[in-house]
This record gives sequence, structure tokens and C-alpha cells, in this order.
Amino acid sequence: MEIPASHMSTCLPLSRRLRRAALVALLLGLWAPCKIVWEQHIAREQDLLRYNGAPMTRQLRDELTQGLTIGVLSGMRNIVADFIWLQVTTEWMNNEWFRMSAYINLCTALQPRAPVFWDMGGWQLAWNASIAAMLDRTQPNELRRLKASRFWVDRGLEIYKRGIENNPTYWRLWSDTGMLYDQRLKDYRSAAHYYRTASEQPNAPVYLERFSAIMYDKLHANDDQAAYAEWKALWERLTPEQRKMKIHQGDRIESEIRRLEQKLSIPKEKRVFPN
Amino acid sequence: MISSLYRIFTIGRNTLTESIRQKVLNVLLIFALVLVASSFAFSGLGTPGLDASGMFDAQIKFVKDAGCGAIGIFGFLITLLSTAQLIPQELHNRTIYTILAKPVRRSEFLLGKFVGMVLLLTLCTALMSLAFAATLYWQEKQAVEQTEAVYDRDSRWKADPGRVADYNHDVAGIVAQIRDPQLVEAVLLIYFKLLMTTAIALLISTFATSSIFTIVTTFLIYLIGHMEGTARDFWLASGANSSIWQSGLVGFISLLIPDMNSFTIVDEILAGNKVPWTHMLNLLGYADVYIIVLLAVSVVIFDYREI
Repeated sequence: MEIPASHMSTCLPLSRRLRRAALVALLLGLWAPCKIVWEQHIAREQDLLRYNGAPMTRQLRDELTQGLTIGVLSGMRNIVADFIWLQVTTEWMNNEWFRMSAYINLCTALQPRAPVFWDMGGWQLAWNASIAAMLDRTQPNELRRLKASRFWVDRGLEIYKRGIENNPTYWRLWSDTGMLYDQRLKDYRSAAHYYRTASEQPNAPVYLERFSAIMYDKLHANDDQAAYAEWKALWERLTPEQRKMKIHQGDRIESEIRRLEQKLSIPKEKRVFPN
Repeated sequence: MISSLYRIFTIGRNTLTESIRQKVLNVLLIFALVLVASSFAFSGLGTPGLDASGMFDAQIKFVKDAGCGAIGIFGFLITLLSTAQLIPQELHNRTIYTILAKPVRRSEFLLGKFVGMVLLLTLCTALMSLAFAATLYWQEKQAVEQTEAVYDRDSRWKADPGRVADYNHDVAGIVAQIRDPQLVEAVLLIYFKLLMTTAIALLISTFATSSIFTIVTTFLIYLIGHMEGTARDFWLASGANSSIWQSGLVGFISLLIPDMNSFTIVDEILAGNKVPWTHMLNLLGYADVYIIVLLAVSVVIFDYREI
């Protein structure tokens, strides 16, 4: 069959087309294996650095709407997570605690390395939801209210602990967990541990250092020795200038050490303040 | 060699001028600047009331996400719309015949077009980043003022060295989050992702017959690029369990489509996590080499294209 003359100028001869295809195939063929190796290397590095949120599983896809799934797939995971966080706030205002909890889980699954979601999520569950459960007059009796409240405290605690697993150097998560143990669960030993660890994290505020000692102080009925050791360690950490200026509640530390030295009858030569 | 570079740069400069004259792009850029600048409005949506207790982490995250998101989305739209028009418009206006009739190689023409797009994207990204920086500065000012207001509830706090130290710590925390030097890395990553998208769109436009085809195909490749990692993992792990068709499809995606998802570590930077420069350079190097390969393939296809 003859090619019409009008088509002659727009068609490439077969040999030229083949040469073009061969050149393109050669270029891509040389690049493709290098590309795979390089991408695997980058992915390994990102895994080691614990980047990227949960992979897009069927469950995650079902929990997100179609639009949000497309958002995640087009590289806007953080914007989608922020958008879902707005739903958390809405559910909080509406006292829809179970829905709020589901949204918090979704946000933290999308961005596990964004500590703010764990921090705020834990606070919403362990404090707002649990206090609301405590005040819920629709429950028939106090026991039910306490049980429901404890349920939300445990959920909040779980969020904090998972947050710590994902963001171990974020001091606020350690500190918030400590506060939860201290103020809601009355477990001062655990609270002391979390406050102490919080104070060791980068950029932690200095006041956290004395919180663990205060926790031992709360345990003073049966753990004066530990409280004394904590207060002493705190005093030793203060610089001479801080001690002189009574900065960071140096005076409180001093008075606690003096009180415990007397109470525990520490020999004068071993006391921090022998006079 | 130098004359060739001169020709490429001249075409690039003209491409930039033509692009700036396009009304659609100007409108897009204005929208982008407005959205980036208004990203501070999103901060209030974080967790209302928390700013009253001096906690700004969520608000700052929202501002950063909205600002960088706007740069990424509008940058992508600008890239897509301008690159898709580059060659079809030249063909439609028949200006390409005049250019190629002069001692200008096709490769120089194509590279010139790419350079023009690089200049355009540099300009747009720089403008949007400036608006973003101004927004962050505004947010910082607001946050510091509100923190001070929280401390001012106790009128004698300035006399207490402990409270002053706490205030300084809080303010330092806000400033560290807002003036995070890693934000430069985030913008750089977005910029290189846009350059990769430009190279993809340019490659498609070398054989496409319409701008719509280039826009749609580039958009799909961009989307699939975010799932390339999943396809690659499946392809490398799949043995006898998967069919030839499955293996063929995911293999095709893994071997040809760039991994766009690696660049989403911008999210990590915005969430306040440290991304080492070595990893950044690895990613930028990957983008550079990919762009070179895409340009080389584009040049081969365009060289053989009947015009």
C-alpha cells in the first residue's frame, strides 16, 4: 500500500524511528538499574532515620475519604493530617470522644514523627475526655463514671507512650506522661522516672529537673532516701551562680535537703549543709 | 561551546519573558502569594485556646505546613501549565521554524526551554519563599507577644529569676521552631521536585501533540511517582507468586517512574525533625541525575521528531 503524498512529510523513515527507539531504550536501560539501586539506598536511609508515616494500607485507605487518600498519595500527607486534626478539634467541641480518638489515631498514623499530634492527642484523651467522663451525669453511678474516666486516661497514656516510641527525644511527651502519672494516676515513682527522662532530653526546660525530686517528695512516707538522693543530685547540678542567686528554686532544694538530712539523721560529715 | 551556552541562555531568557507575560501564570502566582501569606490564618485552627497558655507548637506546624504546601501546589501548577505549553505553543505559532532555521541545534532549543523554566521556577519559588518567611516572622511576633501576655498575668514575674528563665526558654523554643534553618532544606527539596516535574513534562511534550496530553500525563506520572516506592518494593519482593502482568506493570513503574515520595521528607522537616545534609545531598543528587537522564532522552526524541 502506498503512503499518500500528504503524509510523506510527517512520517519518519523506519530506520530513523528504529534508531531513535534504540537510543532511548539504551539510555533508559542504562539508567534503570542505577535508579533502582539508588532509590533503594535512599529508602533504606529514610527507614533508618525513621521517616515517613504508616504505609498506605487498605485499612488506612478505608479510614480516609477518597479525596484525602488522593491527597496522601500526591505527597500532601502533612496537609491531610492537619485537615484531620481540625476534625479532632470539632469532635472535642462536640464531646464525641470515640470519634475524636479515631481521628487522633489517624493523624498519628499519617505523621508519627510529628510530636505535636501525640502531645495534643494524649492531652485530649487523658484529660479532656476523661474529665468529661467523670462529669457525665448520664451514667447511673459514680463507679461507672470512674471506670469511663479511667478508660480515657489509659487511652491517653497509650498515645503518650506510643508517641515517645516514635519521638524519643521530644521532652514534652516525657513530661506530659510524667504529669499524667502524677496528677491522674498518682503513681509518683513512674512520674519521677518520666520527669527525670524529660529533663535529660534536648531543649528541656530547667524546671523539669526538680519535678522528679518533687515526685519522690510525694512518696516521702516510704522513700525518703530516694527523695534525699534526688534533691542532692539536683543541688549538685546547679552552678555556684545558680545556688547563690537561688535561681531554679535553689532555695527550695536547699530547704528540702536540710529537712531530709535532719529526718534521716545523716552524719554531719556526709551532709550537704552541715551547719 | 561558549556560543552554544550563549544560545541556550538566550532561548532560556526568552522563555522566561514569554512565561512572565502569560496571564494564567501571573494569576496563579498572585494566588500562591496570597495563600502563602495567609497561612498564618490557619494557625488559629490548630487547637483553639492553647495559645492562651503559651503553647504554639500546633499553630507553628500548621503555618509551616500551609506555607510549604502552598509553595508545592502552586509551584506544581505553574510548572505543569508553563512547561506543557512550551513546545506546542512554538509549533502552533510556527515560531519554532524561524528559530530552528537559524544555526540553533534542536538540543540547544530544548535545553534553552528547560533553562527558561528553571529561571521561572527559581523566581516563583523565591517570591513564594519570601512571602512564607514574612508570614513566619509575623507568627513569631504574635507568639512571643502572647507568651509575654501569659506571663504578665503575674505582674511580678520579671523579678523572679526562675520565671524569667522559663520565659526565655519558652521564647527560645518559639524562635527555634520558626527560624529553623532546615526550612531552607524544605524549600530546596520542593524546588528540586518541581524541576524533576519540569523535566518530565518537557520530555512528554517532545512527542505529545497537545498541551492537554502533556498536562494529564505529567500529572499522572507525578501521582504514580508517589507510589513508586510501593511498586518497587512489590516488584523486588515478588517471586513466583505474582503473574507476569503484575510483575511487568510494577516493573515498568519501578524502572521508569521517578520516586517522588522520597521528597516527602519535607513533612519531617516541617514537623521539626532533623534531616542530615548527607541525606539531603543524596536526594538532590538523585534529582539532578534524573533530570539529566530525562533531558538526554528528550533531546534524542526531539532530535528525531519530524517538524
